[in-house]
Amino acid sequence: MSGTFRFLDEIAVADMAFEAEGDSLPALFDAATQALLESLADPATVAQTWQQTVNMEEPDIETLLFEWLNRLVYLKDAQAVVFHHATVAVHARPDHSAWRLHAELVGAPVDQTTQDLRSDVKGVTKHLYEVTQTGTSWKARVVLDV
Amino acid sequence: MTLNTDMQVNRIDDYLWEIPPSEKAGMLVPARIYASSAILGAMDRGVFDQVTNVACLPGIHRYALCMPDGHWGYGFPIGGVAAFDPEDGIISPGGVGYDINCGMRLIRTDLTLSEVQPKLELLMTELFRRVPAGVGSRGFVNMTRREFREVMRQGAGWCIARGYGWPDDLERIEERGCLEGADPTHVTDYAIERGINQLGTLGSGNHYLEVQVVSEKHLFDRETAAAMGLTGRDQIVVMVHCGSRGFGHQVASDYLKVFEKAMRRYGISVKDQQLACAPFRSPEGQDYFGAMNCAANTAFANRQVITHQIREAFAAVFDSTPHALGMQLIYDVAHNIAKVERYGDGEWLVHRKGATRAFGPGSPELPDCYRAIGQPVICGGSMETGSYLLVGTNRAMHDTFGSTMHGSGRTMSRAQAKRTVRGEQLLRDMKQHGILVKAVSMSGLAEEAGLAYKNISEVVHTVEQAGITKKVAELKPIGNIKG
Repeated sequence: MSGTFRFLDEIAVADMAFEAEGDSLPALFDAATQALLESLADPATVAQTWQQTVNMEEPDIETLLFEWLNRLVYLKDAQAVVFHHATVAVHARPDHSAWRLHAELVGAPVDQTTQDLRSDVKGVTKHLYEVTQTGTSWKARVVLDV
Repeated sequence: MTLNTDMQVNRIDDYLWEIPPSEKAGMLVPARIYASSAILGAMDRGVFDQVTNVACLPGIHRYALCMPDGHWGYGFPIGGVAAFDPEDGIISPGGVGYDINCGMRLIRTDLTLSEVQPKLELLMTELFRRVPAGVGSRGFVNMTRREFREVMRQGAGWCIARGYGWPDDLERIEERGCLEGADPTHVTDYAIERGINQLGTLGSGNHYLEVQVVSEKHLFDRETAAAMGLTGRDQIVVMVHCGSRGFGHQVASDYLKVFEKAMRRYGISVKDQQLACAPFRSPEGQDYFGAMNCAANTAFANRQVITHQIREAFAAVFDSTPHALGMQLIYDVAHNIAKVERYGDGEWLVHRKGATRAFGPGSPELPDCYRAIGQPVICGGSMETGSYLLVGTNRAMHDTFGSTMHGSGRTMSRAQAKRTVRGEQLLRDMKQHGILVKAVSMSGLAEEAGLAYKNISEVVHTVEQAGITKKVAELKPIGNIKG
């Protein structure tokens, strides 16, 4: 299972955009999560003194990824934290009526003296947002408002 | 002239262009773009696509407008202005912007460059300490949820009642720093939790606090400048650019979801999902308006608390008091907002997204001190080049729903800017050019390099030639704080 991401240059001149892909759904979520974490701060400079469990359920994959990324932005502001890493599991409900996410988030309160802080992302937008599947591979394009 | 569109763009005059409704199915009114030939030629495809999408929205009145600093945005272009019939038109978060009531504030001082220069390092350090910026920063005002709801209702007035400002600041803020109709019951807990600790913080991105100098050679209208307390004798002023932070963004995001569903119910279709809207008089439209006004008032309060901190920093560094230093507010104006305003024959719900209100002389909404000269308009340029102070005109009242430009507008992506210049080098280069920068993020600083922006002087020249604002002064940076 592996995922990658790259920042896109010319999609949002005033903001930031990235494309994440993975050879499985968990890999896609890992890659997209990592892209957002790295947009906020260099994870290598963030300690592991704060943790939170997140459980979410949404009717489809597209909405689940969108709401998950927005949850990270919310936690950044509400808890004044940045993130070291996240462990994310995604699976369908047994009756396939919805998709569930379980995540363990690890990070630390914002500290300008020790962390390499980057962009104060304000939210995930629906502009050009898409999640696509080809065979078992998944790809997402995300534009962040900064 | 080659344009980034296949649509027909007709020249009205040297600074105004029009796309007729025949160019896109569903356009209800023409789209008009204020631009010189050079600016029009450099505008991205998004401007043409988006301003014509706006022209398709129900209830739009006369034109969909884009200012010369326009560029691609979410839904509306940045620089977009549109007025809707409040009875049968829509309201759209995409026409306000995610950062509700992002705006500009300018504070004068009696200090001169020669007095400030020797203490500039100390001053910028003190400002950087007192005005938190960057990712996850928290303000010094601790509030309960009940108090935060009062901030949403009262805006800047809440701050002044608690000593964070002077009573006469209020008359120098658009709408006296408080929009009517703010209803915290329509704000989600998520939004409250994001915003409750952020009062008095700058944020990041293109937000900043800048110490600037106004010199004789950069005064274009002495009489009007004098009415605003500007002498031009190498006078120091302070500019603030920020908004409602995560709180406003959450309000916008929450209501985009509400409006996506509401559009189906009301049978509204839009060209772009980010133009999600609802009839202004519908329950959903009124709920958003109530929540948006909460965010707008919180942004006024945010800039008010920052003003207090700026005054305290100056007083500490110059061993004086803010009053003795003449630190009067010149003006505070929103550039991401929707408001019901009266023009000639009626009331219209005016959306300004990356556009500034620019009321002309005689407007009853203006305070006594500015009624004869028109409303001050504060336009931020890049941190390397400078900014402008303008005034509104009566032509703007007729042609643009009392609106004009808001800044210089980006031309280069953030990623490209970071590849072109390094933050540490930019910091050193700017210091050599006499601009001292304090930044939380070096990569964030590189993203805001002057080369990533249009030439603001050309943008200002356009709105002046178009007659919708007049130049008063150019403001040159000597110190900048960025998130």
